[in-house]
Amino acid sequence: MKRLTAIAACLAVAGAAVAIAGSQGRNAVEPAAFSADEREAILSHGPWPPPMPPDPSNRVSGNSDAIALGRWLFSDKRLSADGARSCATCHDPAKAFTDGRDRSIGLVRVDRNAIALANLRLNRWYGWAGAADSLWAQSIRPILDPKEFAATPELVRARLAADAAIRAAYARVFAAEMSRDPPERVLVNLAKALAAYQETIVTARTPFDDFRDALARGDTATLAHYPLAAQKGLKIFVGKGRCTACHLGPNFTSGEFEDVGVPYFVEAHRVDAGRFAGIAELRRSSFSLAGPHNDDAVRADAAPTRHVEQLHRNWGEFRVPSLRNVAATAPYMHNGSLATLEDVVRHYSQVDEERLHGTEGQRLLRPLHLTREEASDLVAFLKTLSSAVVSQR
Amino acid sequence: MPWTAALSALAASNSAACPGPEQGFVRLASAEAEIAYRWTPDELKIGQFFGVEMVACRLPGGEAVDTIVVDAQMPAHGHGMNYRPRSTRLAPDRYLVSGLMLHMAGHWRVTFDLFQGTKRTRLTHDVTLKP
Ligand code: HEC
Ligand code: HEC
Ligand SMILES: [Cu+2]
Repeated sequence: MKRLTAIAACLAVAGAAVAIAGSQGRNAVEPAAFSADEREAILSHGPWPPPMPPDPSNRVSGNSDAIALGRWLFSDKRLSADGARSCATCHDPAKAFTDGRDRSIGLVRVDRNAIALANLRLNRWYGWAGAADSLWAQSIRPILDPKEFAATPELVRARLAADAAIRAAYARVFAAEMSRDPPERVLVNLAKALAAYQETIVTARTPFDDFRDALARGDTATLAHYPLAAQKGLKIFVGKGRCTACHLGPNFTSGEFEDVGVPYFVEAHRVDAGRFAGIAELRRSSFSLAGPHNDDAVRADAAPTRHVEQLHRNWGEFRVPSLRNVAATAPYMHNGSLATLEDVVRHYSQVDEERLHGTEGQRLLRPLHLTREEASDLVAFLKTLSSAVVSQR
Repeated sequence: MPWTAALSALAASNSAACPGPEQGFVRLASAEAEIAYRWTPDELKIGQFFGVEMVACRLPGGEAVDTIVVDAQMPAHGHGMNYRPRSTRLAPDRYLVSGLMLHMAGHWRVTFDLFQGTKRTRLTHDVTLKP
């Protein structure tokens, strides 16, 4: 009781180090103390969930009939040319909306790891290279990709318009007759329904969120429920690990692109150019927010698309992934080359500076040389960013 | 009066029109030049696109500005922004620059480059973004 009072007194002193007792020590509990800067950094990772307003570029975003149609389409194999796979093949709801493979397998093995689908309204860019600037544009990519569904707008319209239930749902959502709409419009509309559904996949609150909110309130009783190892790992995450530089904010990502030294060779003579190629694909796409299918007349969300600039350093850069639910989304990195969170932490601990492809801009990343205990604390922290539940409205 | 002196006298008279804090502008001056600028929106946040409205108040030589370029770098990390801002001329010596976005917490150096023909005058302003 005495100790609790001491902690409360400590919390009351603005700017003073905050001592938090963990509940997991065997004997006397060693408190993880946070400086004012650390505290500010920790608070910046919440609150959760943040607001996720409807997507202005998608007129059926948030529409319940569109969500129902999108949910159906998400596991509809008729979208693939050979009828063998659906979105759910690689984004399996039972596997946190990923597939558990290093690189996904469509008609052939693709170059990248399937991204776990969640909290998608928070993205500025979609895919590891940000080749799409909206969720609906990203949803078109696998349908047309020769390595994934290998379909065409004509095929999609012909297959689905043959189904009376889909036709009726389409008419209800888009106030149009599917077989009379031009194939490209049908494809975009179906992608917008798929997007409306995917927007509903939101990760639940986690032990970290409870800790973070308790820290904001000064609620020492709740703080003590958060394991001490996680507290120490969190201190590394916001401190000497400098993880927060890139994995920032409530969704633990800047939403931008960086090179952390993951090899970008796909095969001996083929590289994944990452963001460099992503910007090129965005520029070529007729489905970008700068194009005719954006439903927002003022194109409010198109600023990134208008201003993005292709730079030489974009070679080998990949999007900073969110760390929400990260324990459930192994394997890791754009090519799934790291099997466990321990492997990821080892990567950052021993990062090979020679391997960082850029010549500049990598001063953020240096080998951390973490001790075994520090590495396991950091992993313990990362595991508190997950919760089993993925809520679907 | 020599020709150049006449021009700088003209330029100096410009600064009468230089907006100040009452209109939300901040003055930034060097030995060579002075500008007034305001961010839109006025608070800079990580990951949020913003613009800057700026007025060239005092310039070397007194010729009008042809164009201005605003950019930002993180000196400690050796990188800049991922976006290219664009400037629109609102009036002579008055510009609106849009499309800036700072994607990391920490210390950024914002540069304002004023071009008069081939002459470039640079003013810098440091911004520290909280996480
Ligand atoms: C063959 C496996 C496979 C199939 C089938 C597949 N995806 Fe994906 N998905 C991936 C991979 C791999 C990525 C990463 C792509 C990239 O980096 O460009 C991805 C990325 C995404 C993303 C980006 C998420 C983010 O946070 O950026 C969305 C959204 C998505 N897929 C939706 C879909 C939808 C909708 C379908 C069905 C129409 C679908 N996927 C079918 C493998 C697949
Ligand atoms: C310079 C920016 C940057 C910093 C600093 C950084 N990361 Fe990352 N992180 C990334 C990028 C980019 C990727 C994806 C890299 C790729 O796939 O090539 C990534 C991937 C990850 C992943 C894999 C997630 C997934 O779903 O595949 C984890 C976990 C992770 N980082 C944790 C950390 C931790 C812990 C730290 C601090 C020790 C850290 N990161 C520091 C940018 C960064
Ligand atoms: Cu930086």
